[in-house]
Amino acid sequence: MNFDLDTDQRDIAAGAREFFTGSASPAAARAGLEGGAPAPGRKALADIGFLGITVPEVAGGSGRPLLDLAVVAEQGGAVLAAPSLVTAARAAVLLADVPELAAQLADGTTAFAVLDGSVDGSAPSIDAADATLFLGLDGGDLVVGEGEIVPGRPLDATRGLASVRLTSRRVIASDAAELWARARQVAAVVMAAEDLGGADRAVALGVAYAQEREAFGRRIGSYQAVKHMLVDAWAGVEQLRSLVWWAAWAADSAPAELPLASSAAKACAASTFERAAGTLIQVHGGIGFTWEHDAHLFWRRAKVDRLLLGDEAEHLDAVARLAVAGAL
Amino acid sequence: MDFDDSPDEATYRARVRDLLEQHAGELLHLAPGQEGVDARRHEPEMRRTQRVLAEAGLVGVTWPREYGGRGGTLVQQAIVAQELARARVPGLINHIGIGMCGPTVIAHGSQDQRDRYLARLLRADDVWCQLFSEPASGSDLAALRTTAVRDGEDWVVNGQKVWTTLAHVADFGILLTRTDPERPKHAGLTMFVVDMHAPGVSVRPLRQMGGQADFNEVFFDDVRIPDSERLGEPGEGWRVALTTLMNERVAIGGAGGDIGLPVEALVEHARDRLPALDGDRQVLARQAVGRAVVAALAARYTGYRRLTVLSQGGIPGPEASAGKLAATEAARLVADAGVRLLGDEAVYAATSGGDDRWQRTQAWLPGIAIAGGTDQVLRNILGERVLGLPPEPRSDKTAPFSGGRR
Repeated sequence: MNFDLDTDQRDIAAGAREFFTGSASPAAARAGLEGGAPAPGRKALADIGFLGITVPEVAGGSGRPLLDLAVVAEQGGAVLAAPSLVTAARAAVLLADVPELAAQLADGTTAFAVLDGSVDGSAPSIDAADATLFLGLDGGDLVVGEGEIVPGRPLDATRGLASVRLTSRRVIASDAAELWARARQVAAVVMAAEDLGGADRAVALGVAYAQEREAFGRRIGSYQAVKHMLVDAWAGVEQLRSLVWWAAWAADSAPAELPLASSAAKACAASTFERAAGTLIQVHGGIGFTWEHDAHLFWRRAKVDRLLLGDEAEHLDAVARLAVAGAL
Repeated sequence: MDFDDSPDEATYRARVRDLLEQHAGELLHLAPGQEGVDARRHEPEMRRTQRVLAEAGLVGVTWPREYGGRGGTLVQQAIVAQELARARVPGLINHIGIGMCGPTVIAHGSQDQRDRYLARLLRADDVWCQLFSEPASGSDLAALRTTAVRDGEDWVVNGQKVWTTLAHVADFGILLTRTDPERPKHAGLTMFVVDMHAPGVSVRPLRQMGGQADFNEVFFDDVRIPDSERLGEPGEGWRVALTTLMNERVAIGGAGGDIGLPVEALVEHARDRLPALDGDRQVLARQAVGRAVVAALAARYTGYRRLTVLSQGGIPGPEASAGKLAATEAARLVADAGVRLLGDEAVYAATSGGDDRWQRTQAWLPGIAIAGGTDQVLRNILGERVLGLPPEPRSDKTAPFSGGRR
């Protein structure tokens, strides 16, 4: 047994951290709420190769395992990067047998989004607001088409959420329910990885502030009420990291475990990120709930992500059903 | 990353499995539904079981060879633990000795003490206990009041210990005492090996809220301990105790082992019980089961991550406290879901069929959140030593103990 990243994956993480630190930030997420463009944006993500990490090499991708993508997604999540690698990972699964479209995904020439719910009026779907080509499930068939986009007022602009009604459609795979389900599981893992990055950063910012800020004559991190809150948030992040790695590893190395693992990771991500972001605000006190402070941008991401791709209750139910059915 | 055994690990696992089959006739085994064996009633069989396992090379796997161990890895030790559980062999009688006392003797004992004690400990020729907590010093262990006073070549010990697992069957214990009350509390402590059969040692069982007596009170009345049984220098007892405590947190949940009933038992229980619940209750019970499974797997895999780091040469650090904290929380969720699945019978101490596993575990877990470092002490350790947050100001660290609170 070896449950740790290898040297390659550590290098990938370090490279991704450097890229995202220079190209995305909570400040950009704040600007997004007032009409700013997503950062780093699709083109930059394509140029560095992140959109094609799991796209097969024949289609111009890197053909790497999902764990590599999860490691990158964590770094993107730490700075609230957009668009989401959730879309890249999910579309790569759906387009596995459609190399010409997969190539456009990997090189960024086409802006894809995957629609949740009905293609005749979808649920709010990630990165749909800026997409030009949509993938959806239409009566068991996987379809691709153009659509009419209806965005809502964003709670978290980095997710690019919008509802879409397809105006054209072409079937690219029939009887695709199983493929669709697997793609959604993979998407949940990548979202959990982005949430891991966001939660980890939120805890780090909270800890840094508690080490500095003084009240009643001493640093607030010395008070157990503050300390224990941060420890619980940190401990949650460590638990989540284990589930994210397990789930990402399972996608390629133990596919039978993926449904259980991805639901476990997504359920854990929802509550862990919410707690970390809430703690970040609370530890900061008054400054923590201002528009200028970054804390609410993590909080916004947490409040939105917990409901996307299935909320905690849906995934806990799935975990219980799968476990009872013999997955554990 | 690979969750499966490496070829070496697979070979080792096969050998362990073979050995357990070969010796099956000489080992205790748990009956279906039974989770543990009471040392009060089955001491000879438990000692025999450990001796057989020790002779087969399955006890003290990570200990150095010169002290009777195998010089193996933590992963090998985890494999042995998994295979013992799979073969339904109950926990070893000397688990305190193997997990805590032995490593302390290895780290701080004299060569003579190591030679005399360690091999016998592994074979359960001697059973060991750990004599730390006192009625007035639990979390604040360094406030302990049991005294040891030098008298010629001996020390004379007086005082009381409490929460001592296995004291009633133990042959030896490691005993933390105050030898210099004029020094600050942490600086006046000294550790000894005490013969539990020595005159003046008396042991009384301590009954817990669940009705069972896993622990004891131990009284010391003018007990003489030769100076040669000191562990470490006089006044160094706190440093010696930290070795023990760190090993304790690794032993309790630190390496991914389940506390309480394993999550697999909950899943099996849910398979039996869920269909009998009506609509809404079934939905809520599935939420509870799902939450418990997620927490248990997260704790288990976080332990595996720690085990990986340790097996690549890392040393057990304060992170082990996070393992105990997470495993305790997971155990509570597992037990609570298990109780809820009983439906109306959840309000009794056992089902009409006599199954009391879930209620018993439920009554046992509040103690686990306290024993071996309370949840709150663990959070302080993690906050200060892992996150680097400042400690609370303290007034008790520098003043002489005798001038402190009494």
